[in-house]
Amino acid sequence: MPPDAPLHGIRVVDLGWLTAGAASATLLLDLGAEVVKVEGPGALDPFRDWVGADPGTDWWNRSPFFLFTNRGKRSVCLDLKDPRGQAALFRLLEGADVLVENYRRGVLASFGLAPATLRARFPRLVIASISSQGEDGPERDMVSFGSTLEATAGLAAQTGPEGQPLITGRNINYPDQVVCLFAAGAIIAALARRDATGEGTHLDLSQRELTAFLLGETFIAAAAGVPEAPRPAPETAFRDGPALAAAPEFQSGTAILRDPAGQPAKGVPWRFGGHAHVLAAGCAKLGADNRAVLGAAGVPAAELDALEAAGVLATAPRRKPAP
Amino acid sequence: MSAPFAGTRVLDLSAHAAQLPHALAVAMAGRLLADLGATVVRPDAPGDPLRALPPLLPDGASATARFLLRGRVAGDGPFAAAMGDAAALEGTDAPIRLRVSTFGPGEDPPTSEARLMALSGMLAATGGHPLGGHQPSYATGLAGFTALAALLRAGRPEVADVSLFDTCCWLNWKAAASVLLLGSAAGTRDEWHTLPAADGHVALVYMAKDWPALRDLVGDPRLHEPRFATQASRGAHLAELDSVLAPWFAGRTRAEITAAAQARRIPIGPVLSPRELLADRQHRARGFLAPDGMPRLPLLWDGAAAPWSAADAA
Repeated sequence: MPPDAPLHGIRVVDLGWLTAGAASATLLLDLGAEVVKVEGPGALDPFRDWVGADPGTDWWNRSPFFLFTNRGKRSVCLDLKDPRGQAALFRLLEGADVLVENYRRGVLASFGLAPATLRARFPRLVIASISSQGEDGPERDMVSFGSTLEATAGLAAQTGPEGQPLITGRNINYPDQVVCLFAAGAIIAALARRDATGEGTHLDLSQRELTAFLLGETFIAAAAGVPEAPRPAPETAFRDGPALAAAPEFQSGTAILRDPAGQPAKGVPWRFGGHAHVLAAGCAKLGADNRAVLGAAGVPAAELDALEAAGVLATAPRRKPAP
Repeated sequence: MSAPFAGTRVLDLSAHAAQLPHALAVAMAGRLLADLGATVVRPDAPGDPLRALPPLLPDGASATARFLLRGRVAGDGPFAAAMGDAAALEGTDAPIRLRVSTFGPGEDPPTSEARLMALSGMLAATGGHPLGGHQPSYATGLAGFTALAALLRAGRPEVADVSLFDTCCWLNWKAAASVLLLGSAAGTRDEWHTLPAADGHVALVYMAKDWPALRDLVGDPRLHEPRFATQASRGAHLAELDSVLAPWFAGRTRAEITAAAQARRIPIGPVLSPRELLADRQHRARGFLAPDGMPRLPLLWDGAAAPWSAADAA
């Protein structure tokens, strides 16, 4: 990343999974940050076996959607449930500016990494917690995927014919996509505030709230008793995936780019200075940067050897792929 | 307590945009920056596309304008940043610029939100029905906000371009990525959809790992048949699956279905209307919607909304 990139020098530890967490960190990478993705040998990003993994291979390094989303990040595979793994994470966080996570609420706390604990220990760290419902409230623990939140946020009720609500479903999972566009900017805002105050923060991003925010005028109208407007007629002509992939304006656009090996990879929704973004690297193999990243964070080589021998630091998962 | 963009002056040229999607995207970015402490100035213009935009409130004002334009102030330059479409930005001398376009720098053929969703393939997910609200424009506003925030923090003079079309394609990445990476189109029919309940609808959403729990929840012996055993075979027999599932859902309320599903950790949830959400217990607990329906920024800082604001601290 060129030294004049806006987030040059910012270090991100990415505990994000799937799209909502991991692609938020990817946007920070594209703005110039250095991103280290940390997974555990017992806690892989589920994107690594999202679509049909072959158990006879190093399937964890072959998932197309994982490689697409996480290109350009360094990879560390560290067991955070093990106290020695936690100690290594703390070394990494001492030099980090941002931590991104979207585990199920309570998971970080269950292995002693509650945001309040991290805030106390790393006062300059910006911790971004991306969750379905937010950090608190009576429905904090409600299990949701993106499209569940379309229903509970009010988007489904506003989409489709009257009385026949629609969700975008598995292929878009709309709330998981839009949260990335907002979370990256929110994290930058927190860094801007830290520039002035020296203080980090814990950002609580509820995907359900963001999805509702994107319907803001609807709630203002409902509170004023304004009846709902009639629904627009459906469009009869629209592209499917193959038509989109073949469209000239898609191919000359920035939504999907190519990594240096020519593989299609997640693009960016902007251009700076009129130029399309250029991807500097493809996706690292699981744990490829274990020693380099933790060594640079000050973990001695002998300790790295011991972590590897104990399986706390790894380059392969402990489990088989999902059936 | 300092706001992130305190002291930063931003010129919002959304009133001068030639097209509605561009205006809405710029105004969304302006709302976010204003909520984060920037001084956002929005000069009026004849034919302002937002002022008469539905829904209209009893006092004649646009609810959309009220939502998006909250926190704007009157004032003059100099500005650290300006945002608008290409024509509106000509003649501004702000060092940082956010330029919203249809297809990319200088490519602004007439468009609409429905057309953007059609061209980007988003409508394939909903059978041609546009998503509610102004999703293409607002999502582009989020992207523009993030790009502008990065330039403002770095103090780097630069033009950031965001295109409505590229943003929609970025949101819908899986459609094209499935073709480019897997060599096959993503399925057009989806196991995830809404189902009628006794008092409305719920969203049926589940992963392959959730199937045994869903099957046992509904309890119909036909769900053990081989045609429903795998994700692929369920996808091939979707209408039959729905006809087996539907009576269980239709006979229960949204709350009953949600409670039973959540007890088995299946991510099913109720379809809620905006009116219902005004009284939603989760939103109330988190102070998300004001009594007049105005949402706060969907972001808390160490548990507080805008901790730099005196009103919030009180």
